[in-house]
Amino acid sequence: MAPLDTPMPRSQGMSMASVFERYGLMIFLAVLMIVAALASPTFLRPANLVNVLTIAAPLGMVVVGQTFVILVRGLDLSVASLMATVAVLATAFKATTNEAIPMIFIAAIALSAAVGLVNGWLVAKRNVSPFLATLAMMIILQGIRFAYTGGAPISTLPPGMGFLASGRIFGVPVNLITLAFLAIAFGIVLHRSRLGREIFMVGSNPKAAFLNGVAPDRVVILCYVICSVCAGIGGLFLLGYVGTVSNWVGQGYELDSIVAAVMGGVALTGGRGNIFAALLGVAVLVVINNLVLLLGFPIEMQLIIKGVIIIGAAAFYRTRLA
Amino acid sequence: MSAITVDLRRNRLLLSYLIVAVLLVLLAVAGGLLSDRFLTWRNIGNLFQQLIVLGMVSLGQTFVVLMGGIDLAIGSLVGAITVFLANFLEWRPDLVWLALPLALLAATAVGALNGLLTVVLRVHPLIVTLGMSSIIFGATLMYRKEPGGSVPRAFADIAYAKVGGIPLSAIVLVVIFALAGLWLQRTRTGRSIYFVGGDREAARLNGLPVDRIVVLAYALSGLCAGIAAIFLTARTGVGDPRIGAALTLQSVMPVVVGGTILAGGRGGVLGTFLGVLLVTMLNSLLNFVNVSSYYQWVIQGLIIIIAVGIHTTRRRY
Repeated sequence: MAPLDTPMPRSQGMSMASVFERYGLMIFLAVLMIVAALASPTFLRPANLVNVLTIAAPLGMVVVGQTFVILVRGLDLSVASLMATVAVLATAFKATTNEAIPMIFIAAIALSAAVGLVNGWLVAKRNVSPFLATLAMMIILQGIRFAYTGGAPISTLPPGMGFLASGRIFGVPVNLITLAFLAIAFGIVLHRSRLGREIFMVGSNPKAAFLNGVAPDRVVILCYVICSVCAGIGGLFLLGYVGTVSNWVGQGYELDSIVAAVMGGVALTGGRGNIFAALLGVAVLVVINNLVLLLGFPIEMQLIIKGVIIIGAAAFYRTRLA
Repeated sequence: MSAITVDLRRNRLLLSYLIVAVLLVLLAVAGGLLSDRFLTWRNIGNLFQQLIVLGMVSLGQTFVVLMGGIDLAIGSLVGAITVFLANFLEWRPDLVWLALPLALLAATAVGALNGLLTVVLRVHPLIVTLGMSSIIFGATLMYRKEPGGSVPRAFADIAYAKVGGIPLSAIVLVVIFALAGLWLQRTRTGRSIYFVGGDREAARLNGLPVDRIVVLAYALSGLCAGIAAIFLTARTGVGDPRIGAALTLQSVMPVVVGGTILAGGRGGVLGTFLGVLLVTMLNSLLNFVNVSSYYQWVIQGLIIIIAVGIHTTRRRY
């Protein structure tokens, strides 16, 4: 790895502040789990925990991607729409055998990459605000998807898709293994590679990054492509989990993925964050959702709590870092 | 600020007004050619009747965007207020005079709370209003899951009432937009919204009460959402927690199409008004020629990208 003649960016999970942040979230998660265990004895059973994590896996995949985009001062509102579009695309093959699965994955990843490329191009090259660019993409994908399905999608899927999403290898859910693989691979890219350092540089100061020989546009576009590809893969796994295609697969994941990343300490101002902390944010979010049900509260309470924690978490990290 | 830069900004904004105006005329002509019912008084009246809801939420969004923020809680708030109104009026149909001010007051208060949270917590408005949207929606759903309630006849009439052949709602909309435009251009407080949006730090250094102006902009957005909710409830006759869901994002479109910059400080209500006309007319035309709502989504997305693409310049490092 070629040394860069720039100082190491501080936010690589090594400074005291970010270590403290990570433990803070872990303590919060631990408290939540104790409360959940007290509320219901079934919560801490391995079967239930694995279940909770299985539900969380597709969201985790989206969060891995969302982290990249937020790190370069962006955000991606089109992830949920892309997940549903990928789900619809998977049925377009009308495949009933597992041989089609690699094709489905290749097509899904290609479509996602193209979507990410357009998002990134609009943001980096045309200087469109990430909010508007990805919002427009969200609506466009939604329109294309509905136009294709005519509002009523079919659900012909290879049987193997279900295995991918809820199957197990030695008792470990396949989608958790995939999430771990994705997180570690992209974690290495982000926290241990030259590209990762460039991402942090562009996120904390694009001008300085440019003066140091980094092409900010290319880095930003790449982050949007990574985000969309992660969302596309997440969409396939969520589809397998749900089992039936609907035009709204993944609805709400755009907000949830941003909530999880922010809770995990990824700064919306860019340049600061850690993939694994963001995934911890996913765990907290899922446990909270589970807890609302365990405590017997109405399910709408999840929306209120989610709203409170996203504002609270953003305020918490802002004061912490100020 | 030199006279030249002011002039250029004016021209730039004028240019986007002009583009939208030309597009409006083209749409009208296209509509007239494609269907002989499009340019009838009846259809134009219908069109103007539909303007008020999108018009009001977009006006609210304009205040916030000009000030340099964004309000993503609008849709949930509109839904919540329709639920409040329809259920209150079902309980006491005789208290319309009380229900309307209460609804506006509640909406304004929620808007002000959005502003307060961004000011006090200093959290990005996107996060604050997304969070608030989730909270408001959750709270509304806990109260009423399904559309319900009813409104008295007299109240429902305001949606369809006409004054001298012109829909009351269109008159209300034009008057409010005119007042908003005058207020933004001619008053100290109105102009300070531009200052805060243009450069918040400079505004603070110039002694402007920045925090109060931020809260005011969000409060106005809440008030506008309240007015939209009143007309929406009058038209539909029920309170529906989900009715506003699409409005949040729709409210952004006329604002950016009208040339108001999302970064704040530049733009105006005239552009938003033209944007609302354009979006409403386009949807109406697409319905007339039987383009499915699916393609309308695609077109909406493309319009956002094109409109914003026109106004943005290449970033230089």
